[in-house]
Amino acid sequence: MTQILFKNIDMKGLTSIDVYEKQGGYQSLKKAFAKKPEEIVEMVKASGLRGRGGAGFPAGLKWSFLAKDVFPRYLACNADESEPGTCKDRELLEKTPHLLIEGIIVTCFACRIETGYIYYRGEFQHASDLMDKAIEEAHKKGYLGKNIMGSGLDLDLYTHLGAGAYICGEESALLNSLEGRRGEPRLKPPFPAVEGLYGKPTVINNVETLCVVPWIINEGAEKHAALGTEKSKGTKLVSVSGHVKKPGNYEIVLGTPTSELIFNLAGGIRGDNKLKAFIPGGSSANILTADKVDVPYDYEAIAEAGSMLGSGALIVMDHTVNIVEAALRMTYFYMHESCGKCTPCREGTRWMYQILSDIQDGKGSNKQIEKLEDICDNMSFKCFCALGDAAVAPVASSIMHFRSDYDELLKKMEGDTVTA
Amino acid sequence: MSEENNINITINDQPLSVPKGTLVVEAAKQIGIEIPVFCYHEKLGPFGCCRMCLVEIEKMPKLTTACTQTVMPDMVVKTESPKVVKAQQGVLEFTLLNHPLDCPVCDKGGECPLQNNTFKYGPGDTRMEFERANRDKATPLSPVITIDRERCIACQRCTRYSDIIEQESALVMLNRGFNNEVGTFNNEPYATKYSGNVIDICPVGALTNTQFRFKARTWDLDNAATLCAHCGCNCNMTLGSRTNKFMRIETRPNDLVDDGWICDKARFGYGFIESDNRIVEATILVDGEQKVANTLETATQTAEFLKKIVDEHGPESIGFIGSPFGTNEELYLYHKLFRFTLGTNNLDHKNYLDTPGLPVDHYDFLNIETANLVLLIGSDPAEELPILDLRIKKAVTRKGVKLAILNDQGTELDKIADLSLKYDVGSDGIALAALANSLSSELDIPMVQGNSNDESPTGIAVDQMKKMSELVRTAMKVCVVYNPASFTGSSIFMLKHLLGVINKIPTMECGAIPAAPFTNSVGAMDMGILPDYYPGGISSSDSDKVQQIWGDSAFLDTKGFSALEMIDKAESGELKALLIYRSDPLVDFPDGKRVEAALKNLPLLVVHDMMKTETSALADIVLPSNGPGYDEGTTTNIGGRVQYRKRGLNTNNSPDWKIISKMINSLSEKPIEYLTSFSVTEELSQTVPGYNEISKKSIKKEGKTREKIEYTNGSIPEIQKIDSSGKGLKLRVATQLFTEDKVLDASSPLAHHFLPSTLYLHESDALKLDLSNGDQAVLTANGVDVGATVEVSDRCNPGAVVVPRVSDDQGLLRLARSGFVSWVEVKRG
Amino acid sequence: MFTFTQEDENKIEKIVEKYPVKLSALLPLLTLVQRREGYISPEAMQAIGKKLDVSPGYVQSVMSFYTMYHTEPTGKYIILFCHNISCQLNGADDLFAYTGQKLGVIGGGTTKDSKFTLHKEECLAACCGAPMMRVNDTFHENLTKEKIDQILDSLP
Ligand SMILES: Cc1cc2nc3c(=O)[nH]c(=O)nc-3n(C[C@H](O)[C@H](O)[C@H](O)COP(=O)(O)O)c2cc1C
Ligand code: SF4
Ligand code: FES
Repeated sequence: MTQILFKNIDMKGLTSIDVYEKQGGYQSLKKAFAKKPEEIVEMVKASGLRGRGGAGFPAGLKWSFLAKDVFPRYLACNADESEPGTCKDRELLEKTPHLLIEGIIVTCFACRIETGYIYYRGEFQHASDLMDKAIEEAHKKGYLGKNIMGSGLDLDLYTHLGAGAYICGEESALLNSLEGRRGEPRLKPPFPAVEGLYGKPTVINNVETLCVVPWIINEGAEKHAALGTEKSKGTKLVSVSGHVKKPGNYEIVLGTPTSELIFNLAGGIRGDNKLKAFIPGGSSANILTADKVDVPYDYEAIAEAGSMLGSGALIVMDHTVNIVEAALRMTYFYMHESCGKCTPCREGTRWMYQILSDIQDGKGSNKQIEKLEDICDNMSFKCFCALGDAAVAPVASSIMHFRSDYDELLKKMEGDTVTA
Repeated sequence: MSEENNINITINDQPLSVPKGTLVVEAAKQIGIEIPVFCYHEKLGPFGCCRMCLVEIEKMPKLTTACTQTVMPDMVVKTESPKVVKAQQGVLEFTLLNHPLDCPVCDKGGECPLQNNTFKYGPGDTRMEFERANRDKATPLSPVITIDRERCIACQRCTRYSDIIEQESALVMLNRGFNNEVGTFNNEPYATKYSGNVIDICPVGALTNTQFRFKARTWDLDNAATLCAHCGCNCNMTLGSRTNKFMRIETRPNDLVDDGWICDKARFGYGFIESDNRIVEATILVDGEQKVANTLETATQTAEFLKKIVDEHGPESIGFIGSPFGTNEELYLYHKLFRFTLGTNNLDHKNYLDTPGLPVDHYDFLNIETANLVLLIGSDPAEELPILDLRIKKAVTRKGVKLAILNDQGTELDKIADLSLKYDVGSDGIALAALANSLSSELDIPMVQGNSNDESPTGIAVDQMKKMSELVRTAMKVCVVYNPASFTGSSIFMLKHLLGVINKIPTMECGAIPAAPFTNSVGAMDMGILPDYYPGGISSSDSDKVQQIWGDSAFLDTKGFSALEMIDKAESGELKALLIYRSDPLVDFPDGKRVEAALKNLPLLVVHDMMKTETSALADIVLPSNGPGYDEGTTTNIGGRVQYRKRGLNTNNSPDWKIISKMINSLSEKPIEYLTSFSVTEELSQTVPGYNEISKKSIKKEGKTREKIEYTNGSIPEIQKIDSSGKGLKLRVATQLFTEDKVLDASSPLAHHFLPSTLYLHESDALKLDLSNGDQAVLTANGVDVGATVEVSDRCNPGAVVVPRVSDDQGLLRLARSGFVSWVEVKRG
Repeated sequence: MFTFTQEDENKIEKIVEKYPVKLSALLPLLTLVQRREGYISPEAMQAIGKKLDVSPGYVQSVMSFYTMYHTEPTGKYIILFCHNISCQLNGADDLFAYTGQKLGVIGGGTTKDSKFTLHKEECLAACCGAPMMRVNDTFHENLTKEKIDQILDSLP
């Protein structure tokens, strides 16, 4: 299978610029600098590369939305990686920092950007230290700084650490956080491409997205577009976690059946247990039942199956799991991480958590399940940002697909009452 | 807004056309459709956090918040569709989830958006089965504001206010998510100058006025639409009372004046209304004792006494020291009494030099936002005119206006200024001349005498002054805001010369705001409470004009004395009688000790005031003045806007206009009986140039700017010499908003703002005097000592000290010298 | 009293240089203090506010939004123990309870000897190595009771 990102991922010493260069690193720069910036944007558009951070928005298209003739512009690389189930960016950051730098240089050239920030979640101190070292090396080699390789591009790249807030992965909250504010999301529009960091046009992309860019330059847009399905091009890193024998990050060509990921790459379900449920795209994606396991792992097919590809985090649950417990834990997460700015999310996540706790503790009722469904409805698409919708996913999908797990807990209560 | 900029939309099947950029929520309002809101407040801008205003817009997949969405061509909005109704109920359910149902005991009851929205849009029933979150019930957020955190719905109006409007970020959102709470740094009191506004904008009863708590139900209040009388902004406010008892003060937004805000002195500084220290009856000194007398009879007697002295010693032997705190009507009548009935020009209302009229346009508050540059001279808006401070902050931070500051002391606004220059205390005249000359040199205008290139006298480097003049020269539209009371000597003439110079810059639009800190300084000048000007800026030496307007007998052949000169004349015995109206020269004039001796020297001292003062204690006759809250009449703010100050409480005491007209009538052959204060307004509108469009009707809603007052003094002034005759350091008295005086006393809820006597000393002087932070020092001048704690700072240039006036008891002005820069000796105390 | 050391000042200068707007240095400065002092005191907030021209209230407002900042002293080692979905599925709850018991801080908190602060934490992006914990800057994955013993016991 084609490997764009992971081909040499476990090569020893890859974090150092010499090793990285030896395996072909920074080769894309010369090719990129030979083109006009607009040509690169067009190339990335033609490659069909979609954002790997969660929303799957076409990267080249996003770049083309930058406010015309407004400078300076900024790049903010989203290395916040906080979506439960997701750990692929960390692997890239820790094992191949220069790949990200290379991708960022090309992107900044294409978008005429002179300052870039990599926003790490606060817990990634280690990765950020590694990156600082890599940036220093790149500077020394002339890949960063003034007039890079005679291209006319000046670029400064900096790391910036958050401090513990899932919401800062949301792009506008990330910008606020980077500006020294509370990580509350901003009103959109204006979108970051028009008014982003410091009110200036800003490109925000996920680590993985940017890491794909050098390959597109090296191999050509067509080659990338030839990979995957009609609308899901290229490869995708998938973090397979949960009840599998070989959890890990796997790079697959988009469109590969999910079952291949679970049963082949990740070695199948632990013990001799049965697959009960899986979440294809991180905790913000709807939980799917085992019978959907053959769904091709690509944006469209997963959406059609009633969930989303999201950040590419495949969480696998075997038959021992009561889905209510899982939904409860994820709801706790959203309650904990809600920024509290908007009412439905702030109040709704807590209320759902209270009700689910009751149910989990055997104190629930059918009526409460109906109420949960209605709360989901009152939150859906009515919150300030997508975190509110994400919080609905585990609850709504668990009720829809795993009602029997709820019934079991309700019965437990009836049982309790009878014994009492 | 031109029609072509309009956009056609449809809301609930009603077509309408609104300007581009209008928010849907505002558009709906225009056709009477209410979209419920919590977090949206027009002065705070779109935020979109409460989600109460969700509406359905055709072609948009999701419901949209009407408070953040601007209109788009052919937009079709539905505010009552089933989807919207369901969403509104859902949002309200979330909002109420952890909000107590304590409306019956909540101060917001009856005027609560949450209560109203719940009633109109809410779900019938609550489905919350858990105990409400445990949050703090009523706790003090400051001595004047109480916070009930359990009622807070986290709309962030108050915290955004603190951030965007007052720009203090003193009240902030703490924590995250469900644990969000409104609070302050380290739980310290929220004590900004403008804190009280959060009470008005809180859409629930989370932030309440501590004094008002549980005092009355909102619907039982009598609300008077009145004005604040504390400073020259004249902010609009509502005075709420119940059975003639003062209850509370709230904002009454007028964008042309206050932009919807009032300062805390307005909101919490009206305790004097109920003070024991009020003068409520007339008294006459008989055998060393004040005997109560009938007010109007005493007025008649007073007039007769004055007349007698005039008959015996001539009209120059009496004088009137009025006040910038009276209304136009009161001051106008006093002008009539002294000029036309008693025949003297000895009228004044202040202890500094100023003249009516401007060589440029008289700008209003709105001009601050529309100018390209605000040039602030000698003014400290935050302490002197707080709402002006907010307006300048708004202009600079949200309207892209530049700010240049020229002052002898550092102020809060320096932080956001593009350029801030500090001249030495006492060198104001030279600094103004330097700027004027720097501009003149580019134009074909004669320079004022003196060398502007001479660096040292002001402490401002030549290149810095050049920078300032470049800022001004290239600004295209300049609004000059200056405080005449901060100038020494005759620098006011230099200021006006500077205005004239700026105005001559090609394609320049220039206007000015004379920003004296007092309530009705502009009105007092307009009403002719000046020795050298009749009302409307007519020079008292211009016999033709005077006679043309006021009749043949109106012109007086004698020159009048200023207030400071009257004190001199009292001292020398030439002045025999003085009527002092709402002024306390013993405390407010320089060299109080000498003032005291001078006033004691007078055969007749009449004090007409609302509070007992050091001066009234010396009076032979005391007349009661009702003062703000009880009085009514018009005042003219620093922007030249005339507004109506309405009575908020009733009193049986005669209003001032009645007392003054009684004095006039008792000496007149043809008495004029006024029915109400408006009868006086009507008369003055006919006789005071600039006021002819002022009427009860024309000023009713948002007031009306009076027309420009004639500017007569056009001669080029001379540069004042720097006075270096004194010993020690030069004294700069700074105005403090919260001063412990007759109005805010120790019992005031604002007492926590009072400062100890403090002396700001430049590092170099501190070194010389061997004083450091926290040391006790004594300032000496005029044989008087004033104690103060040293604070080493660069608030002024070396060679001077800045001392804020913190209380009447401090006696700071006793150190000062009239008319010139004052010197003090500073020693360790 | 809190003051920045000369070393801090040098670092701060470098940090502030990274951004066109000073305020962006707020989180880095808070992090600097947190890492050095183990928590952020009101005096530190004031000092940071002064550096960046914002009110101390603003600093506290921002600080309190982020969970990695502490307002009380913390232990020498801060343990962030993930309990989110992937770790939960792999037995994190038991291991968290075990760690709490082992350290004598059931449910989390700081040990009496101020050596450890234990926190139940949300997903730390190590789901494929679940269950996991982060001890100061180091991620420890595929935890078992034995492994936890070994890690914690080996810390000086
Ligand atoms: C609540 C929330 C959390 C998010 N967290 C992340 C994240 O941790 N990393 C990420 O790359 N994108 C995250 N996103 C998506 C970003 O908002 C944004 O779409 C993305 O960084 C864009 O980059 P891409 O187009 O390359 O995917 C999050 C979105 C939301 C709503
Ligand atoms: S206190 Fe009032 S204004 Fe402030 S956030 Fe709470 S509800 Fe909003
Ligand atoms: S009023 Fe629109 S979201 Fe609050």
